[in-house]
Amino acid sequence: MGTILEVDNVGKHFGGLAAISRLNLAVSEGEILGLIGPNGAGKTTLFNVISGYFPPSAGRILFQGRDVTGMQAHEIVRLGITRTFQASALFMKISVLENVFTGFHLSYATSRWKRLLRSRSARSEEAQLKREALSILEFMGLGPLSGEAAANLPHGHQRILGISMALATHPKLLLLDEPMTGMNPVETENMISLVRQIRDRGITVMLVEHDMKAVMNLCDRVVVLNYGQKIAEGLPREIRENRVVIEAYLGKQGAK
Amino acid sequence: MVNNPYYIHLLIMVGMNAVLAMTFLLLLRTGLITIAIAGFWGVGAYASALLSVKLGLWVWLALPTSAFISAIVGLVIGLLLIKKGGIGFVMLTLVFGFIVVLVFGTFEAFGGYTGIYDIPPPEAIRLPFFGLVEFTSKTPFYYLMLFLVSLVVLVFNAFYASWTGRAWRAIGQGPRLAESLGVSIFQYRLLAFVIAAAAAGLMGSFFAHYYGSIVPATFGPQKTIYVHVYAILGGIEYAFTGPLVGSLVMIVAPELLRIAKEVEPIFTGLLVILLVMFLPDGLLGLIGHSRPSGPAENLSRVARWVKEAFTRGKSASQG
Repeated sequence: MGTILEVDNVGKHFGGLAAISRLNLAVSEGEILGLIGPNGAGKTTLFNVISGYFPPSAGRILFQGRDVTGMQAHEIVRLGITRTFQASALFMKISVLENVFTGFHLSYATSRWKRLLRSRSARSEEAQLKREALSILEFMGLGPLSGEAAANLPHGHQRILGISMALATHPKLLLLDEPMTGMNPVETENMISLVRQIRDRGITVMLVEHDMKAVMNLCDRVVVLNYGQKIAEGLPREIRENRVVIEAYLGKQGAK
Repeated sequence: MVNNPYYIHLLIMVGMNAVLAMTFLLLLRTGLITIAIAGFWGVGAYASALLSVKLGLWVWLALPTSAFISAIVGLVIGLLLIKKGGIGFVMLTLVFGFIVVLVFGTFEAFGGYTGIYDIPPPEAIRLPFFGLVEFTSKTPFYYLMLFLVSLVVLVFNAFYASWTGRAWRAIGQGPRLAESLGVSIFQYRLLAFVIAAAAAGLMGSFFAHYYGSIVPATFGPQKTIYVHVYAILGGIEYAFTGPLVGSLVMIVAPELLRIAKEVEPIFTGLLVILLVMFLPDGLLGLIGHSRPSGPAENLSRVARWVKEAFTRGKSASQG
């Protein structure tokens, strides 16, 4: 398996504060990589840097061997990196189906003029994308809710819709920011199985999550951040027994 | 009533202001509030006036040409200002609104503060079904406005119904999320800005040839504020019917109530306060609580509402 994403000596400073410093990280194609660490460790900042929301202060980001450092968020998506957000970020006023449709922004093959004039080919493309949107929703278990306004969905379903929209962009690498937050154990189990199925479709997944049990259960590999630096990396089993990690989470006293 | 030139004039003004209000809603949908609409309206009016008076260009060519010129000015202003975003953008468009008036007033080439006179009406044309149309009375102008309003509605609707409309709405509702799905906020806002400038410019051109004379003060930011009121009064969720209803009420009501021109700003000011307090969804928001899906649905809803209002009145007078 090749490396799909390489974070090379990346730093991100906000004024004098270093949110991330000299971080090196590689994501292998087809894996589910967990990113954990105490609050303020720099996990979401790293997502924001990779997905083009802030340029890094130092270092490079390589995606499939190509330097994408400093590219803008909407350009990064075109290359195949899509991220989701911590809070239920959805277009609340419109339907579930329309939300997914918005994710097809870069998927059109017909010309702009044809789409504006609603030519036959543009209409058939629209119908085909609608079928694809429905199949994504079906796959994610939201099929029966496609006509509902996003605002009316329960929290757990909103999180799933957020990921469904990301899937509509046809990502190669999916960055999930705390996908299980606020979920009950049943919903968490469901999310774990969904993320596995997404990976089985050939999409590499990198996720930030606080639910340790879920991370250990789901991820092939885990990277631990603390104060913006990588303190450990390895299989879930190794991380669970890593003394440095336990200290970072529980403090030196707790680790004894 | 339809033959009374005064009412025809009011309807023409309703159409023109409704289109200006539609451009406000177009930009609002992308999360941009601009106080430059009257400025682009002025650019269109001046471009058309100068093209036809100084260069003797055929008015039928001056109309699209001035919309195009306004679009180019919109492109330049948009390139300069849209990246600013937020309140900075609002204030800078206000500055643009003032500068337009200053430029038209100060430079003699633009006619100075006394404006441009003797702007020709459109040339007589021979149309199928209508025969020879001469712009000697208000009625042909009314039909021309009707045509222009329909054109703008058709074009705007084509954008709203396509992927562009989805991208605009996405930017308006959640810019960060829109970006994460590959929508370039800058490009799509710029596109909306250019389209809005072109439509406002087209209305400006019509206005110049309809009135026959223009002065710079007409195109100041105060006009833009009025345009905003029309759109908000009608209901900002209603891209086409909102502006039409809003400007119909705001233009016809003061006339019917015979409110003096001096008192009218007080009337409008009061209305704005009441609107913000009691009617954030506008007049059309009163009718339907569920979110409308398209202009056709809105129209049928208004039609039902009007019909009901009339039948209620009738049964009351009978009883």
